[in-house]
Amino acid sequence: MAAIFKKELKSYFSSPIGYVVVAVLLALYGFFYYVTVLYRSSSYISSMVYSNMFMWSMMIIPIITMKSMSDDKKNKTDQALLTAPVGVTSIVMGKFLAAFAVYAIAMVASLIPALIISLFATSMSWGSVLGTFFGSLFYGAAMISIGVFVSSLTESQIIAAIGTFGISIFLILVDQLGTVVGGTIFQTILNWISFNARYQPFTNGTFSIPSLVFFISIVAVFVFFTARKLESKRWS
Amino acid sequence: MVEVKNLTKRYGSNVALNNISFTVDEGTIVGFLGPNGAGKSTTMNIITGYLSASEGSVCVGGFDTLDNPNEAKRQIGYLPELPPLYMDMTVKEYLNFMYELKKVTFPREKHIKEICMLVKIDNVYNRLIGNLSKGYKQRVGIAQALLGNPPVLILDEPTVGLDPKQIIEIRNLIKTLGRNHTIILSSHILPEVQAVCERIIVINNGEIVADGRTDTLAHDLSSEHKLIARIDGPENEVLHAITAMENVVEVISFGEKEPGVYEYSIEGKEGADIRRNLFALLTRKGWPMLSLRNTDLTLEELFLQLTSGSDTGRKKSERKGA
Repeated sequence: MAAIFKKELKSYFSSPIGYVVVAVLLALYGFFYYVTVLYRSSSYISSMVYSNMFMWSMMIIPIITMKSMSDDKKNKTDQALLTAPVGVTSIVMGKFLAAFAVYAIAMVASLIPALIISLFATSMSWGSVLGTFFGSLFYGAAMISIGVFVSSLTESQIIAAIGTFGISIFLILVDQLGTVVGGTIFQTILNWISFNARYQPFTNGTFSIPSLVFFISIVAVFVFFTARKLESKRWS
Repeated sequence: MVEVKNLTKRYGSNVALNNISFTVDEGTIVGFLGPNGAGKSTTMNIITGYLSASEGSVCVGGFDTLDNPNEAKRQIGYLPELPPLYMDMTVKEYLNFMYELKKVTFPREKHIKEICMLVKIDNVYNRLIGNLSKGYKQRVGIAQALLGNPPVLILDEPTVGLDPKQIIEIRNLIKTLGRNHTIILSSHILPEVQAVCERIIVINNGEIVADGRTDTLAHDLSSEHKLIARIDGPENEVLHAITAMENVVEVISFGEKEPGVYEYSIEGKEGADIRRNLFALLTRKGWPMLSLRNTDLTLEELFLQLTSGSDTGRKKSERKGA
């Protein structure tokens, strides 16, 4: 697992993709921080910056995960991985963690403006800032695990990216869908899968254990699915 | 060392392998021969655990590939048809990655260096794999298979894309490795298999059609035992003398090939070896024999005969019957 993680992370940054993703994410964070500064109140950091970034992060994550599994399949390098004495779950976990690390690098760097602001702010609401920071990490991890799974379904990076975009857009719009669709059962289900609804508690500075469990379960389920998908090569 | 039992692989209704069984002993080099699509790569992929069989089992070094996949995989170095290389890595990075992936325990730098010397890639050690020529890529693939010094090497068409000099080098390398490794290699190049392997398994349409030692396979399989001899002596007398021999079915003269030397085709009875008696006869008569060769199928002919379907075989026996 460590070998694959190291190799994947290196490959993100030996091609432009890692830099581009981190740069775009940070540029967007920069923009929203700038808007916050105009409001002259650090209490807006979580509502202005991290809330708005939910949508953008969901849109950018498919770029991180698109080549995760599909590239190996296309270049037949999966033969090296699958014939090495490592289990499929370790392979998937290595890949997932590498993609997550790219996202986490951007997230950690996104705290830099908050630090600078804290130097000048009279009172800094670190609770809500860190809450949203961790919340963002969690929904990011969940989205990345979905992206890795979609990437394992195809040999084409483009299809993997577009497929994951589709899921991202669905997850972004699911709240609005919930209000549009009548019928309490649908509404309950849609609200239940809404990432945004799970993310909201964090923006208030509360560390929501149910949400954490929800996101971690998503990661576990999709890592499991991806591993099974990888293994299915051996049955078909 | 490698035990394959009743292996069957189906892709939907398409049967890629049909009940294949064979055992490879420790320290032998086995050649897998067959036309494209015969099932060579499928068999290798199953042995290495990349694919699983629909039916049957594979044991490598005593470990079942399904029950003990990681232990079994540890016994194997595998070079797939297309070397699994990452184009965006240097040779150094790639070999280090594979070293970690395979959980090799030998001292890292020394082990990798040794392998690079062995397959002669030390001069491209710091170059990007994507920029290497096909021959070098192939050798990096072989280097990767050798990492961890696994007892079993499975090489799928190891000399594809190499220039003639490299082919000879790689063949010699395989022979050297064969001294302390069990090697299964596939190829559709006959001379290669003939030059390197001790044993040949011919596979066609997912079935084993021949299995035997390289030197005896052709002999065993050819049903007709004809000898072509050049004998220095009077044509008619020689003809009579040989025809009178035991176990000789037919002798035909091909005429004078050198001054006073005639060539004959001598057909012996099935299963009878007449070479010794022939030699004794000619010595007694004082007719020097200048050459003797049997018309055993060359591997090339054998291969074509075995792989072009059962039709040829039937035709042959029909002809014989008539």
